[in-house]
Amino acid sequence: MASNTSLKIIFWIVLLAFIAWDLQASAPVDLRNEPPVIAAGSGQVASGGHCSMPR
Amino acid sequence: MAAFFIFLIWSISTRQALLFLVGIGMGMALAGFRFGFTTGWRQLIEDRDPRGVAGQVLLLGLGALLAIPLMAQFPELKAALGPPSVSLILGAFVFGLTMQIADGCGSGTLYKAGMGIPLNAGILPLFALGSFLGSVHLHHFLALGQTEPIGLLETTGTAGALGITLLLLAISVGLVRLWVGAGRAWLDARWIKGAIVLAVLATLNLLLAGQPWGVVYGFGLWAAKGVTAAGLFDPSTNPFWSQAGNAERLGQTVLLDVTSITNIGILAGALWVASRGASETAKPLTGQQWLIGLLAGFIMGYSSRLAFGCNVGAMLSGITTGSLHGWLWVPAAFAGTLIGVRVRRRYGF
Repeated sequence: MASNTSLKIIFWIVLLAFIAWDLQASAPVDLRNEPPVIAAGSGQVASGGHCSMPR
Repeated sequence: MAAFFIFLIWSISTRQALLFLVGIGMGMALAGFRFGFTTGWRQLIEDRDPRGVAGQVLLLGLGALLAIPLMAQFPELKAALGPPSVSLILGAFVFGLTMQIADGCGSGTLYKAGMGIPLNAGILPLFALGSFLGSVHLHHFLALGQTEPIGLLETTGTAGALGITLLLLAISVGLVRLWVGAGRAWLDARWIKGAIVLAVLATLNLLLAGQPWGVVYGFGLWAAKGVTAAGLFDPSTNPFWSQAGNAERLGQTVLLDVTSITNIGILAGALWVASRGASETAKPLTGQQWLIGLLAGFIMGYSSRLAFGCNVGAMLSGITTGSLHGWLWVPAAFAGTLIGVRVRRRYGF
């Protein structure tokens, strides 16, 4: 069995590879339409995903 | 981590970069203080040790004292409102059972994976797959019976929501006192520090993102992106993933997703703690233990979606933002944990 260090390295390589693939495969980020830095007081209701959402 | 933070500011958004920092803080607090929801419940049941649960009650109380007035002040801030439902009760029960076998809830799996604990690192992708499948099948479970989500802030106002929340927390402490008996130590610096730091960071998450801290949604999104890209899933035919917000997030990078970015931060924060020499000890597992642990992790992910969150999304975020579903989640998950600790013992974990 691989050592814990090897497993750690594999885990992080897989995670970083997923993020890199995701960035390349997803729609380009619209930097001109950035969400408010602080939602509180912005006047924009949050629209992110959350585990409590039924749909 | 600094390079990734700068990349986020430059290429994604300042908000996401700040949420990454919040996530790092959460990971450092969870790993540094060993703030494990699963462990606290297990110590209460097996050792009649109330210190972990006392820390969690402190976290819930502080979190509610910070979040509920802020939500009353800023209408942009959303509560973690899940629907009281058969799905919630069933999901929370199974989640509570399996989190003991997998030795980590959503946040626990994250920080232990970040620290390099082999079982939790192995569980993470299966948790994500389970979470995705749970969301795909969620409408079937909701059809078993549900009501509209109930928010204490909307129904009783700020003082009412805070009063009810603190009263229910006090009743919880009373029940724990009955179980553990007299002469027990309740306070432990590690749990108290962890509770304070996590309450502040969860509030920062709410202020920045406009929604409470969550873990499970991000996992499901990662798996959904993978299986959709592989041509194994058509989101347009599914009630959950065809919903406008979810469909939009499927097309965007996960770095724009609020829960994904704090999840990545938690992993990084835990890695930082581990790199400073605070490694978590993990005894070698047998093949059977690996199999059972991985299966439990998969079921835990599936059930977390039916339960509308894990200890973070449903219990912490639900209760601190005044959602009734958080208060239904706790007894159902605790009932599952009562069985889970026995299964855990049976297989020698």
